[in-house]
Amino acid sequence: MPKLIIDQRSIEVPAGTKVIAAAEKLGIMIPRFCYHPGLGSFGACRMCAVKFLEGPVKGIEMSCMEDARDGMVVSTTDPEAMEFRQYVIEWLMMHHPLDCPVCDEGGHCLLQDETVSGGHGRRRYLGHKRTYHDQYLGVFVQHEMNRCIHCWRCRNFYQGFAGYRDYGAMQIGNRMYFGRYEDGPLESPFAGNIIDLCPTGVLTDKPCRFVGRRWDFERAPSLCLHCSLGCNTTGSARYRQMWRQEGRFNEMVNGYFICDRGRYGFAYESHPERPRRARVAGLEVAWAEAIQTAAEKLSQIAATAGPAAVACLGSARSSLETQATLQRFCRALGWSEPRYFSVPSQERQVKAAIARLEAPLAVSLREIETADFVLVVGADPVNEAPMLALALRQAWLKGGAVAVLDPRPVFLPFEFEHLPLAPGDLEAALEALTAGAGGTDLLAGGSPWPLLPKIAALGRRLTQTQRPVIVCGTGIVRESTPGLAADLVLRLREAGLNAGLFYLLPGANAFGAGLLSPAGEGLTPLMEDLETGAVKALMVVENDPFWDYPDRGRLVRALDKLELLVALDYLPSPTVQRADIVFPTLTLFERNHSSFVNQEGRLQLAPPVHLGGMPMAQISPEKHPPRTFLSHIPGGEPRTPGEILAELAAAMPAPVTLPGDDLWDWLSRKNPVFANIVSLFESPPGARLIPEAVPAGTFSPAAAPAAAERPPDYLELLLVDLIFGTEELASYSKHIQPAEEPPRLRMHPADAAKLRLSSGDRVALRLLGGTLEVDLQVAENMAPGVLVLPRHRQLNWRLAPDYRVMVAYGDIVKVEA
Amino acid sequence: MSTHSGCTCQTAAPISPEIMTKVDAIINRHKDQAGALMPVLQEVQEAVGYLPPAVQERIATALNIQGSEVFGVMSFYSMYTWKPKGKYVIRLCESPPCHVANAENMLHAVQQELGIGEGETTADGLFTLELTACLGVCEVAPAMQINEVVIGNLTAAKIKQTLADYRAGKVPDYKQLPYSTKDFRKYQQSPADLILLDNVGVIDPTKLEDYLAKGGYATLKKVITTMTPEAVVEEVKTSGLRGRGGAGFPTGLKWSFTRPLPTPKYVICNADEGEPGTIKDRYLMEGDPHKVLEGMAIAGFAVGASKGFIYVRGEYYLSKLRLNQAIEQARAKGYLGEKLSGTDFSFDIEVRSGFGCYICGEETALIESIEGKRGYPRMKPPFPGVAGLWHQPTIVNNVESLASVPAILEKGGTWYKALGTPDTTGTKIYQIIGHVKTPQIVEVPAGLTLRELIDTYGGGLRPGSKFKMCQTGGASAGLVTAAALDTPIDYGSMSKVGGALGSGTMLVMDESVCAVDFIRSVAQFFRHESCGQCTPCREGTPRLLETMTRICQGRGKMEDLDFMERLAGVLTDASFCPLGQTAAQPMMSALKNFRREFEEHIQEKKCRAGVCKLG
Repeated sequence: MPKLIIDQRSIEVPAGTKVIAAAEKLGIMIPRFCYHPGLGSFGACRMCAVKFLEGPVKGIEMSCMEDARDGMVVSTTDPEAMEFRQYVIEWLMMHHPLDCPVCDEGGHCLLQDETVSGGHGRRRYLGHKRTYHDQYLGVFVQHEMNRCIHCWRCRNFYQGFAGYRDYGAMQIGNRMYFGRYEDGPLESPFAGNIIDLCPTGVLTDKPCRFVGRRWDFERAPSLCLHCSLGCNTTGSARYRQMWRQEGRFNEMVNGYFICDRGRYGFAYESHPERPRRARVAGLEVAWAEAIQTAAEKLSQIAATAGPAAVACLGSARSSLETQATLQRFCRALGWSEPRYFSVPSQERQVKAAIARLEAPLAVSLREIETADFVLVVGADPVNEAPMLALALRQAWLKGGAVAVLDPRPVFLPFEFEHLPLAPGDLEAALEALTAGAGGTDLLAGGSPWPLLPKIAALGRRLTQTQRPVIVCGTGIVRESTPGLAADLVLRLREAGLNAGLFYLLPGANAFGAGLLSPAGEGLTPLMEDLETGAVKALMVVENDPFWDYPDRGRLVRALDKLELLVALDYLPSPTVQRADIVFPTLTLFERNHSSFVNQEGRLQLAPPVHLGGMPMAQISPEKHPPRTFLSHIPGGEPRTPGEILAELAAAMPAPVTLPGDDLWDWLSRKNPVFANIVSLFESPPGARLIPEAVPAGTFSPAAAPAAAERPPDYLELLLVDLIFGTEELASYSKHIQPAEEPPRLRMHPADAAKLRLSSGDRVALRLLGGTLEVDLQVAENMAPGVLVLPRHRQLNWRLAPDYRVMVAYGDIVKVEA
Repeated sequence: MSTHSGCTCQTAAPISPEIMTKVDAIINRHKDQAGALMPVLQEVQEAVGYLPPAVQERIATALNIQGSEVFGVMSFYSMYTWKPKGKYVIRLCESPPCHVANAENMLHAVQQELGIGEGETTADGLFTLELTACLGVCEVAPAMQINEVVIGNLTAAKIKQTLADYRAGKVPDYKQLPYSTKDFRKYQQSPADLILLDNVGVIDPTKLEDYLAKGGYATLKKVITTMTPEAVVEEVKTSGLRGRGGAGFPTGLKWSFTRPLPTPKYVICNADEGEPGTIKDRYLMEGDPHKVLEGMAIAGFAVGASKGFIYVRGEYYLSKLRLNQAIEQARAKGYLGEKLSGTDFSFDIEVRSGFGCYICGEETALIESIEGKRGYPRMKPPFPGVAGLWHQPTIVNNVESLASVPAILEKGGTWYKALGTPDTTGTKIYQIIGHVKTPQIVEVPAGLTLRELIDTYGGGLRPGSKFKMCQTGGASAGLVTAAALDTPIDYGSMSKVGGALGSGTMLVMDESVCAVDFIRSVAQFFRHESCGQCTPCREGTPRLLETMTRICQGRGKMEDLDFMERLAGVLTDASFCPLGQTAAQPMMSALKNFRREFEEHIQEKKCRAGVCKLG
């Protein structure tokens, strides 16, 4: 490890570390523009010049371009280097408009900071400043090109790091322009990162435009709940409302960046219809009255119909604190265990995945970047876990290869091998790869024959790698698929490869929900208990079966049988709307600390960003702070589910105390993985909740039938995710909604030909619950024999009886205009 | 100042289906070629006349790239146009060598004759007038190019006559012209044995038989059938050949780095002769193209490459034509292609064209350009020898360097080394241009003095004038005064007197030239050619021009000199690539040698040469 001296202080850094990064470790921030630790060195801005006094390099050099080497003696404050940097900042400011007072970046502008620190205070250039046209870049990013200092970060991220090409550099010399070919929304769902990266106000956050200065905002570290990866964010709130999120560095999870769904999905927090007051029978009542009513009714039903007649439904989006308190509450009252998934197959998939994830196998998102081969099975990264796509791209940029086994028309922003296997063949493919050569006989689920030799070739390639990672989704695969993915990883490890396993789960805290779900096959599916009348009262905690339960008709009929529906939530969901009693809860941004377990078992903590309450904009048309003073926060009634459950327990006829401060002890007594947690405050990357070795006999679902038979003249309907429009929380965000693309049904050309359909046709899909109309897109890069339909909020996809249904040719008809 | 945009300034005229058919045909021809974008854009522009948005979009879709990439590349190279132009595009050269030859008056003459300004098109749609940073035809300065044809030694009368001819339909076909500028046979040859120019003006460059009759391709055959690649590299090392593009890096050493690396590897011949004052490579390519090909094939054998690219500057239409003809002939006769002379060695060459961009002469920018991208210099290391074209090991050599190779392998490195000086072995092609009686190129062993070059080969200064200064080595080199006239011209000696051998060009200037005005012209060249990637060059070169312009207009201040000196220092230290690093060299050198003239401009509002209009 090279050892060098920077500003009279000595430091040892890993080989390959740039001098600018070594200085940062000492707390010395060398001015920079083009260099960014997430993007690496580029050498264009020349701002990071330092003087090398001794060692292998001498004189003024760019600290971002030089590797730290033994014997280097570096001065960042040498007068020659300072003068040099003063020139650079003067050049950069030559054409920069002095519009800081009306610029959104003002106050957290790197250019401002470095102009001041560089000592440039007097303008010597008296010529004209160059000017440009600005472009419309979509709903997220505001373009103000006159401010550009040509640092290249936006282009280096957009094209280099993320791999999208519709935004880039045009023109030459000092006419250079960063933008698109013509006005239009940026095509990359990672575009928001260029806002964070832009060192000045060229690219600013559009939804947060003219809202406040950096110091006006309440800011705190937060987490993204819009998929299971658990990317880290920084939230900004003002006047009791979230306005902005930025990517926050986590060396094990998301690195520096986040996707646009994670960046702009937060606006459910200030949804105008968000429940803010307790309600009984549709009427807002005093909080205590609602608690009293709920406690009475619940205990009454438990007393008359038995404790099993009261059921609780938690969720995969609640914090671990909420999930655990719900379980503790049920046990304290002697009720049956809470369920966390309204769709039983999801629960079994999640449990199957968690059951196989042990520490030596599990890789983090960032570790995927160093894999030399990644096999993605049954997952569509950009749409299901967007940042995974960027991690895969980094692996590819470093020379690794990526292969995707998935029936959907998967897009990734780099070259990869896509084998569009039929859904029924995904498991067979995994088994074939595990079995080694000759295993391709197992494939019989309807995939085109040319793919089969490719599976064999894939198997051979896999054995020639050193650090392969198997990524397995849980969206469209069978329940036993996660287990087969783990088998393959174990098989590769036996062969001496350092193989890793990476699951995707349905929900930001699906892992926590899975850990707390009852072992084994679990309880009777909730829907059956409702239909038989076994359950008479249902308390739903931050869950909305109307969102993800596939059969809408069945759900409504089942809920109709209930005597009592209690809902605790922060979303104005259909469940909340039809509940007899409603308790408003807090989002993760408000007042409470909450923790979430991502898909690799990493427990991360989200402190509150603000105290909660009704957004100022919703009670004061002038968006102005109140001119009268109150002793409470207006609209500040919502509480955490934990608090509500404790109040309910205490209000029962036989009151029960739920201690609020020993939850973690309680959890670790229940499951040893929770004993790993020391203090999340001291562990920025979070703590892993996975065992060193999986204990024998953990849950594994019944093996799927050898190959699900698809009758001839039928297509298998796959209900899938899209980056925008299918994720529950983000669908309530007014920032995300305008970015949604109209949902379309996708189909292989061979099937389209048989049905005499073509792209752009309006198609009616007759499902069990009714007919659904949707536009068709024919896609070549997908498996034949399947229909791919997004679970889009604008589509009534809940006419399907199940997540896995067959649709007869005759039920797919063209709608004539 | 005009407002710039990505693309919004483009005019969206409807495009006929016939034109789109043409466009599609061109795209289909190149579709599977690596780095197809540049050739496609060039051919489409030739066929359509310009590249309107609809065509850009068609190209983007067909090549499966984004519109922003197509326009990003187009707008980087000065010869692409997205606006319709006249039938004949006049590109008048305003490079420093043309500037000292009165190019400004020529501009006035053309403007008067056509009644249009720069960038405008005549009402009859016949002529568009443009200024260009350099045409590479300095021996006939001042010059202009009308479409592919160069018209040099301009005078007001000649301009009038030429434009009248064009109007009357008397338009020369560049393909029929023996040379794009001057007949080499009329040049006074040096007494030394010619190694490089021996065939130029002697053989018919369109005939392979002529080259074979002169012993052509015999050395290639000898090399690949009797020598090991290592021995070839060793021979070139022995010869002491240094890169003739300007930097002077030992060629053999460069090859030895690439030789042991795994295939695929590439040989690139850098024919982007963009340095103002440099014209030598054009004579080689037009007059003896096979020699360049033979040198490349030997280089390919030496380093283990089987594919070569010649990157020719866009303005050299005739060079491209001759090279392509020669490649076809060589392929037909088995001098290029698979398994040459029955050995396992295969080698083929492809010509790629630049399109008006000086920075693409820098080897890594050139590589980016061949890959079909904006020609930005890359970070070094890795050097191209390790990771070049498509990140494979690639040697990039100048035309003259490669053309020297056959002779070295024929007669031996020791023989070659004995020519010239120990510092600069072999023979070198010099260009004596500017205010001499006979501007021309000449091949002599290195080590002649500047005075010998001027007097013997330049025919002395033009009548009635007195030597003032000489810019040696190209636009980025310093100025030398009469004191340096007796310094031998090689890499080492020239740098001692503040000049450079560079590409071997000697721009001789007499007392009619104002040093201040000349430096302004140089500053203008660099401002125009800065690629914009790094801050110092992007912002510093316009700053230099702005300050120099003020001084030339009599609005300078004494502090400006101080300011420029310091600016130059930072520009030199701070720039990413040699373009910015050397852009201020001429000014620094002028401030050293002609400081008094600057002071006169500022303090006394006086221009000795009477060039600047002060006050």
